[in-house]
Amino acid sequence: MAAATAPVSFCRAHISSSSTLSNPYSSSKLPFKFGKFTPCPSSSSKSAGFSVSCTLAREAPVKMEGKEDSDPALWQRPDYYGRFGKFGGKYVPETLMHALSELESAFDSLKDDPDFQNELAGILKDYVGRETPLYFAERLTEHYRRPNGEGPHIYLKREDLNHTGAHKINNAVGQVLLAKRLAKKRIIAETGAGQHGVATATVCARFGLQCIIYMGAQDMERQALNVFRMRLLGAEVRAVHSGTATLKDATSEAIRDWVTNVETTHYILGSVAGPHPYPMMVREFHKIIGRETRKQAIEKWGGKPDVLVACVGGGSNAIGLFDDFVKDKDVRLIGVEAAGLGLDSGKHAATLTKGEVGVLHGAMSYLLQDDDGQIIEPHSISAGLDYPGVGPEHSFLKEKGRAEYYSVTDEEALEAFKRLSRLEGIIPALETSHALAYLEKLSPTLPNGAKVVVNCSGRGDKDVQTAIKYLQV
Amino acid sequence: MASYIQARFFNRQVEDSCPANRLMISKRRTRNAHAACAQLLPMENTPNSGKLDLNKPMMGTQQVPINVPAIISGKFGRFGGKFVPETLIACLKELEAEFNWALEDPEFQNELQTALRDYIGRETPLYFAERLTNHYKNEDGHGPEIYLKREDLNHCGAHKLNNAIAQAMIAKRMGLKSVVAATGAGQHGVATAAACAKLSLECTVFMGISDMEKQNSNVLLMKLLGAEVKGVEGNFKDASSQAIREWVGNLQTTYYLTGTVVGPHPCPSMVREFQSVIGKETRRQAMEKWGGKPDVLLACVGSGSNALGIFHEFIGDEDVRLIGVEAAGFGLDSGKHAATLARGEVGVYHGAMSYLLQDEEGQIIGPHSIGVGLEYPGVSPELSFLKDTGRAEFYSATDEEAVEAYKRLSRIEGIIPSLEASHALAFLEKLCPTLPSGTKVIVNCSGRGDKDAATVLNYQQYSM
Repeated sequence: MAAATAPVSFCRAHISSSSTLSNPYSSSKLPFKFGKFTPCPSSSSKSAGFSVSCTLAREAPVKMEGKEDSDPALWQRPDYYGRFGKFGGKYVPETLMHALSELESAFDSLKDDPDFQNELAGILKDYVGRETPLYFAERLTEHYRRPNGEGPHIYLKREDLNHTGAHKINNAVGQVLLAKRLAKKRIIAETGAGQHGVATATVCARFGLQCIIYMGAQDMERQALNVFRMRLLGAEVRAVHSGTATLKDATSEAIRDWVTNVETTHYILGSVAGPHPYPMMVREFHKIIGRETRKQAIEKWGGKPDVLVACVGGGSNAIGLFDDFVKDKDVRLIGVEAAGLGLDSGKHAATLTKGEVGVLHGAMSYLLQDDDGQIIEPHSISAGLDYPGVGPEHSFLKEKGRAEYYSVTDEEALEAFKRLSRLEGIIPALETSHALAYLEKLSPTLPNGAKVVVNCSGRGDKDVQTAIKYLQV
Repeated sequence: MASYIQARFFNRQVEDSCPANRLMISKRRTRNAHAACAQLLPMENTPNSGKLDLNKPMMGTQQVPINVPAIISGKFGRFGGKFVPETLIACLKELEAEFNWALEDPEFQNELQTALRDYIGRETPLYFAERLTNHYKNEDGHGPEIYLKREDLNHCGAHKLNNAIAQAMIAKRMGLKSVVAATGAGQHGVATAAACAKLSLECTVFMGISDMEKQNSNVLLMKLLGAEVKGVEGNFKDASSQAIREWVGNLQTTYYLTGTVVGPHPCPSMVREFQSVIGKETRRQAMEKWGGKPDVLLACVGSGSNALGIFHEFIGDEDVRLIGVEAAGFGLDSGKHAATLARGEVGVYHGAMSYLLQDEEGQIIGPHSIGVGLEYPGVSPELSFLKDTGRAEFYSATDEEAVEAYKRLSRIEGIIPSLEASHALAFLEKLCPTLPSGTKVIVNCSGRGDKDAATVLNYQQYSM
């Protein structure tokens, strides 16, 4: 799994996803049809363990599809092997292959299971509080009005109103229901700021499952209250001291635990990163955000949004909003990463802007790495964006030119945090504030009446101490 | 202009002993009841008809919309009223007229509905708490069914914003530029600050200094939302008094945004009206979920806004039990509690007659509760009335029981309730064994408890 240590210009990938190559169903080169997939009984026993190496030149992007290239509706997201173009995949130790296949087939069969879908819909409605409103931000719109009275219309998709205060719970709920179907009694997860940890602990409490959260020791100090919340909810929080004692180390530790306890344990990954089927699964659980937005946009103005804006850390809230609109080429998709102290400072988390392709945590994607292929420690004032990798689907959308990615500094994010609080009485998460900050550059370029939907992915109560320190309110 | 309208309204003011008042009390909910009440009054301008012609324009004023309810005196039996200095009477009358007008104005109602839906995130779910229900099942597997009305999911994390946004909209209608408010736990302060930011009103919040320390996170939130937070020696009652003083000094420009169902008329009725959306939704959701009404409604009681918010809709349904749970602090006999209805006596406080915690000399006894929002020595006059008439029952829960309930719901349902709501949840321990199997119990989960995590952490460490 440590293929991230390979030099930058090419990567030798030991695709022990050889099991997928020798799988009897591999003859079907069909796009990944969820309804048709039948679980393979013992795929792991068939793995011959032969390795495949792929050579990637930095300049020339590999074209894996032919003529379907330009039509987003025909893109395989992901394809049979869990790849989005060249990104994604399953770069994991042998021991995890069976668990991943089992997960994939369980997810696939549940997608069309009306009992599962009804139970999930019920929990999302009564427990999580969906659907979340699409809120017309009148004063923010006014703020971006140009002197001639023209300007875009700004709407906020209120994921901050979800139970636990962020979009994270959409995925946590879906995955815990999946884990129950798989008769797993033990749930593990990693967390950086604590939001995903709290969401996981929340759903485990709700469904009575044992919960272990891995958190970097440094993060635990910075987020003591979130640690207490997780413990209150009945979870065990384990400190990770290795490496820099932050999110990426917690993720590695969680994966190590999963390898050891794979029969009894389900790993709830917090974002659209990781080995297939996680990026696809997490996206599927979050895509309700975009689906609701489409419906609400029609109700409100009888059309589609013109621009979707979301912050990008691992990429889950962004994919959740974008997914339903990827095939609508007239809808602009804009992701905003963390530029920290500035893109040239070396202290940022702008993976898609400054990163290079490699493998991290089981997937091929852009990541922040130095010339030796070692991970560069990211920085952002917002812990949730402080991840050196990014979801493989985002890397794919960037390369295809379907989505645009920009970045915003800590300072700009704090300004946006203050701005929304003062103008709309909504305190956004610092992560979300990055998306809001980009409106400053975006709005002047938009035609009059352009409909902009910003994913307000979380509330900022957790960031108040940080903000107060910097803003000196 | 507004004063002409209210002057005419007051000519039809209902007397305390008037039969119409009794009719009013039993049919409080329906708009028609107000009109029906008005019909019983003698008419000055149409001597031959027993009916009130609300369509007839009053001298020198705009046409009053039809079916504007006649003013009630703001009395609930002997409770309530307007015990205020003369200077405030005109102001309160103006407020009352504006309030009644707003209720009937479709434009206001539309704007409010949009804000409730898109800004606050209503309607809030009625959530079947499966694991909590199982927890209360006896060995035979029998027990009540527990539902939670999820007011914790509102924007700002409590029921307070339902009222704050509506009143801030009224302040704007009245052309006022700034708002003052008083807050205990800070929830109302945060809600007011948020509503004022959204409606571009200036906002000043008064808060007791000891409360500011205990709920520091809320103070920071208010400041971020652009409000000015002024500390007052003491706690909520002192902050209230200071806020009222500030209001009286600036009547022309300032709106006093009351957070709860106390104070002089029309405040209790106004706040209750805006909070009653909770009960209205609950009725509809209960019908959808099990095709009937709830059997028991359970809510915590500080001053009573969330309780009345859920109760009010069902006051006329005699088969629905209404149970309020106050704060017993260190215990009812310790002298350190806030159980006004259990231990208080009738008196006048902050402009209304109601139960309150007072000593033999009539001085206010400082209340205590770990749930800061329940720490009020008075209580809603309407709740006092419901207690006296036996329509509602009131009990109490100690700090310890509330903390246990806080931890219980977190562990069992993954919902961290506010310490205030935890008092209602704590009472389930005593209530459930007495209920027949399948009884539908709805607890008003009036707020989320993230703000209380530090308090509970300290409490645990202290008690160890």
